[in-house]
Amino acid sequence: MTTGFNWHRWRLAITGSIIIGIILIAAIFAPWLAPYSPYDLDVAAMLQGPSAAHWLGTDELGRDTLSRLIYAARISMQVAFIAAGVGLVCGTLIGVTAAYFGGLVDLVLMRLMELLFSFPAILLAVVLMASLGTSILNAMIAIGIVFIPGFSRLARAATEVVLREQYVESARAIGMSNTRILFREILPNIIAPLLVEAAVAFSYAILLESALSFLGLGAQPPEPSWGNMLNVGRGFMAQSLMLSLAPGMAIFLTVLGFNFIGDGLRDALDPHMKD
Amino acid sequence: MARFLLTRLAAFVLTMFAASIILFIAINVVPGSAARSALGIDATPQAIARFEASRGLDRPLVVQYAEWLRKAVTGDLGTSFQNGVPVGPELLTRIPVTLELALLAFLVANLIAFPLGVMAAARHQGWVDRAFSTLASLLGAVPNFWLATLLVMLFTLWLRWLPPGGYVPLGTDPVANLKLMIMPALSLGLVSSALLLRIMRASMIEVLSRDYIRTAHAKGASEWVTLRRHGLRNATIPYINVAAVEFGFLFGSVVVIEDIFQLPGIGSLVLVGIINRDYPVLMGGALVITLFVLVTNLLVDIAVGFLDPRRAKEGQA
Repeated sequence: MTTGFNWHRWRLAITGSIIIGIILIAAIFAPWLAPYSPYDLDVAAMLQGPSAAHWLGTDELGRDTLSRLIYAARISMQVAFIAAGVGLVCGTLIGVTAAYFGGLVDLVLMRLMELLFSFPAILLAVVLMASLGTSILNAMIAIGIVFIPGFSRLARAATEVVLREQYVESARAIGMSNTRILFREILPNIIAPLLVEAAVAFSYAILLESALSFLGLGAQPPEPSWGNMLNVGRGFMAQSLMLSLAPGMAIFLTVLGFNFIGDGLRDALDPHMKD
Repeated sequence: MARFLLTRLAAFVLTMFAASIILFIAINVVPGSAARSALGIDATPQAIARFEASRGLDRPLVVQYAEWLRKAVTGDLGTSFQNGVPVGPELLTRIPVTLELALLAFLVANLIAFPLGVMAAARHQGWVDRAFSTLASLLGAVPNFWLATLLVMLFTLWLRWLPPGGYVPLGTDPVANLKLMIMPALSLGLVSSALLLRIMRASMIEVLSRDYIRTAHAKGASEWVTLRRHGLRNATIPYINVAAVEFGFLFGSVVVIEDIFQLPGIGSLVLVGIINRDYPVLMGGALVITLFVLVTNLLVDIAVGFLDPRRAKEGQA
């Protein structure tokens, strides 16, 4: 075992973090980084190819593709963080409750989660969008709900391990309340695997949000999102390849980045993988 | 084994019933959205009330569900709010399209994942393994609807080999049917293959590290014989389980892919149901997709039960 930093072990997680870091910076500083407004029309410059003025060309209304791509990163990142957050918080609460109280509570909650899990994610999200209404906020809620079963299973399994530890038993013995035990003893000890799962959820949220927006159920025009940009690009494929290539590449890189972080953390934290 | 089959079947029926409740709640969770969608945002409250009364949407959700269920068990899934077409027969004409698409996509995914996964495991940590593993992580990050767009660019716009979309029934003209199905099946299948490849590789590596493999090698069995006779058989069970889940998820993705290629399947019907807030259509379509997923799970459970009887025993408890 080396005492220094093991680059080989962390390289995947670091590569992923660099990719996501760049996209996060683009999202946060969009107003300063984007060369144009993402909404300004320019009928004199419709469907142009890449040029010095428009690095990635323009869309069917003459809007700058690069600027729209940068602003769209904001939406995707917001959706990913909020949806994964909803899934993480609700899923953890359900999973921990099920494991802590056991018996009938456990049975009912986990059966329900199993049931939700058996729906294909995209179908569940799409159906929820139908009743919630098409907006980006509802997309976050719908995608968050899709994540709840996964987090709850993981939280339940991790809690069961923790519950066998002596410190939980002693906390009970000294008369600590259930809520205090949950927040002081259990949550801090199950958070690591849940955060790894969250990285995977981020990448899945990006995919789901762009699929919903692609179908016209997520971000609504003129708000730019990678999904609805791709959908528009499909109609102008013969005139401009860039309209289809650029947003797709953005989704691909973001998903890849989050996957790298997830896989990398899992490998690095897994004791079997020590080399 | 009979008891195992019966418990699985009972669980299937119960799950399907519970799934229909969840779908019903999910679709009806916001009251009034169907009326507003059908009548437009300027609709008066009176018009909305009339619309809801004529379709029974003003009654309590429990009553609505009970009536839906009573009719559904006799095969009556209601009629479309939009055009009055009965939902059941409409679904029946669309099922073959979606089923063919999902099966072809699944075939593509397995044809890639199975051999490449085995080869990667057999050359664990060699360059073949690294190349295939990289391929899997790249493919796994591609959105299937973007891949669909790229395929259309390549095969329709540049090479002019394939039509951009549409549908011809398999029975009418098999060649034309396949020409139209190749791109949708590749879009779904290539992306699915990523996860399956990783699973095949991982479970094969695990199996190949076991003692009986070392014994087989020690006996002087050739590498191919060891792989095929001892490795494959044992590595396949975890693979089948994951493949089944993936097959189920293919049915979810048809919502996006059928829309892109204008395939008249269940997925495009679900999308139309959502855009029009056409609840009977949406409910029927979503239920069929769920049914496909649950039937797949049931069949795999049974298949694994036969392959590995110890599992069947555990499942009974």
